[in-house]
Amino acid sequence: MLIALLSIGIGATILAGLVTIYVDVPRQMGAQFRSFGANMLILSDDEEGMAKDQTDKALEGIPADQLVGAAPYRYIRVDMTTRQQSFTAAGTDFNQITKTSPYFSVEGRYPENPREVLVGKEIAETIGIREGSTMELTWQPAAGNAEGDPSKDRQPGAVLSGSAEGWSGGIVYVTAKLDDSSKIASLTIDAGTQTPEIGGLAQTDEAFIRQFVGKALPLMLGEDVDALSGATITSTAVVEALNTARDAQNVVTAKTVKYTVTGILTTGGEEESYVFMSLEDMAGLTGSDTVDVVELSVSASAEELEAYAEQITENVDGVRARLVKRVTRSETAVLGKLQSLVFLVTAVVLILTMICVSTTMMAVVSERRREIGLRKALGASDGSIRTEFLGEGMFLGLLGGVLGAILGFVFAQVVSVNVFGSSITFQPLLLPAAVIVSMGVAALSCLQPIKRAVAIDPAIVLKDE
Amino acid sequence: MSLLELKNVSKIYGDLKALDSVNVHVDKGEWVAIMGPSGSGKSTMMNIIGCMDKPTLGEVLLDGVDIAKESSKKLTDIRRDKIGLIFQQFHMVNYLTAVENIMVSQYYHSMPDEQEALEALGRVGLRERAHHLPSQLSGGEQQRVCVARALINHPELILADEPTGNLDEANENIVLDLFAQLHAEGTTLIVVTHDPEVADAAQRTIVLEHGKVAREVINEDFDAQQKEWLARLSMESKR
Repeated sequence: MLIALLSIGIGATILAGLVTIYVDVPRQMGAQFRSFGANMLILSDDEEGMAKDQTDKALEGIPADQLVGAAPYRYIRVDMTTRQQSFTAAGTDFNQITKTSPYFSVEGRYPENPREVLVGKEIAETIGIREGSTMELTWQPAAGNAEGDPSKDRQPGAVLSGSAEGWSGGIVYVTAKLDDSSKIASLTIDAGTQTPEIGGLAQTDEAFIRQFVGKALPLMLGEDVDALSGATITSTAVVEALNTARDAQNVVTAKTVKYTVTGILTTGGEEESYVFMSLEDMAGLTGSDTVDVVELSVSASAEELEAYAEQITENVDGVRARLVKRVTRSETAVLGKLQSLVFLVTAVVLILTMICVSTTMMAVVSERRREIGLRKALGASDGSIRTEFLGEGMFLGLLGGVLGAILGFVFAQVVSVNVFGSSITFQPLLLPAAVIVSMGVAALSCLQPIKRAVAIDPAIVLKDE
Repeated sequence: MSLLELKNVSKIYGDLKALDSVNVHVDKGEWVAIMGPSGSGKSTMMNIIGCMDKPTLGEVLLDGVDIAKESSKKLTDIRRDKIGLIFQQFHMVNYLTAVENIMVSQYYHSMPDEQEALEALGRVGLRERAHHLPSQLSGGEQQRVCVARALINHPELILADEPTGNLDEANENIVLDLFAQLHAEGTTLIVVTHDPEVADAAQRTIVLEHGKVAREVINEDFDAQQKEWLARLSMESKR
């Protein structure tokens, strides 16, 4: 009887343990997989890069408790003129990198202060740079490059102010506010130096001023806007002042900054040929703080990830989200295999438990043959013999189930701590589940022994043995 | 008035006729012994009377019902309601106390009633031993518990199979005294035995040989025995 109880207990222990691990493993495995890198990317729809409000809005699409980390990246080419070398520089958030790319290994430390960089191992070896060295990096706005192209408006919503020479050397000042699409929203003209009754009217003539509103720079007098009657020179000065202000705003020149190397990065990948700096440093170098890509590490199932990506792509303008298939796919595959393994082991354990309990109960029936015979001779019906043994079996199952649920949790805890290095939470549903399954198994195991017990002939009590 | 009647009862195993056209009748309140050497058909007859086996041929009327025709489920009911069994090996449930063993019988019959079970133990003089396990009781005491158990549901018939086979003479006499008392109270007793002394205590002895009733012996001294017994009992109670 004790053996039957033990076997049910052990069976339930293994079951409860496996189920606990099984419930907990996706979480554990998720954490393990997160260490292999990001599983979702947020990219810009065009080549302009993404502004901070765009990426912030995109990140809102992912529940905070599932978001492990989100590392923004912006890639530019930089030159190291002293060595006649050029590299890819990546601007990022170092706090997030440690979350999305835990496999990054840094000799030294991550940059913490302005003008500090992390250098990939490959670059460090090529140019012989070490932790603590300094390096001068130059950013060159290439012709046609978005950052340096004066034909492109990079700063919608900006306020431009400029000036140009008008009638008889008098200076005309303009201040224009641009709307979100870089068109003039409002315009103020200071033409105090011009002839009051002629050019000076540019300052007050509403019709003249109104025609600038809603137009994009640069402008051409006579084509985009008409001159103030009798004051062509003053009008030309206004247009010129606006166009100059715009160009001044947009033209960005090459810039060189000296950085301190805080660490050498080893990743085993292409990151070793990059120089990493903070996004703030990169903005200081290029005058722009857009982001090319955000790498996300999200602890969620493949289906959830898919849904999040779709939502973000749909809801946030100029942004699309995409899954890193290599990572999500292998995660799903491994979990699937684990699932079948747990089912298989569960089935084997259940069958073994049943065989053991059944054998033990069979032995109990043979041992108590005389007693069963006596009970039948005293008038026990087949039904009451059945009920008694089934009851005994179920009680065994109940005890074994409770025992197993508790030991199983301990077992799962030990496995979890040893394999995954983290503890697990107790599933409250496990106790009733383990008890029900154990009782079911015990009842099934008792069927054959009960059949044998019922078949015992009461007349055995009469034979003198 | 007849309680049990076997009419031309045969039990045939292949070529062997364990019982061969046996005719027996037992009246209500009668004390009958069944004797015979081993292989004479005693056990087979006991099984049939005890509703644990059915004859191949013939009728077995117990209280007017032909038990030869009943299903085994019905036989269980009849056995439970009408027959009290006493065995040579006593057969107590070894992990239950004396009183609990009696209550097992009550449980299968109707409902356990500890008070009634204790009273039954008192009748066989074992009230003080009620909470002892079988292993703590002597053979004679165990058999007395079994007599109490057989009586507890007020059966029509007490069927005893070699009830004194495992007892010494002193205990044998105690059990026979109990039987005499039961008889005096009107209980029908059938005692299967090969012990002539036990058989002599009965009113009538049926002797089986080779599956047939060889002879019936009427105990001429029975009434005198009963008187003597009653006298002894009253003397003991006065003492």
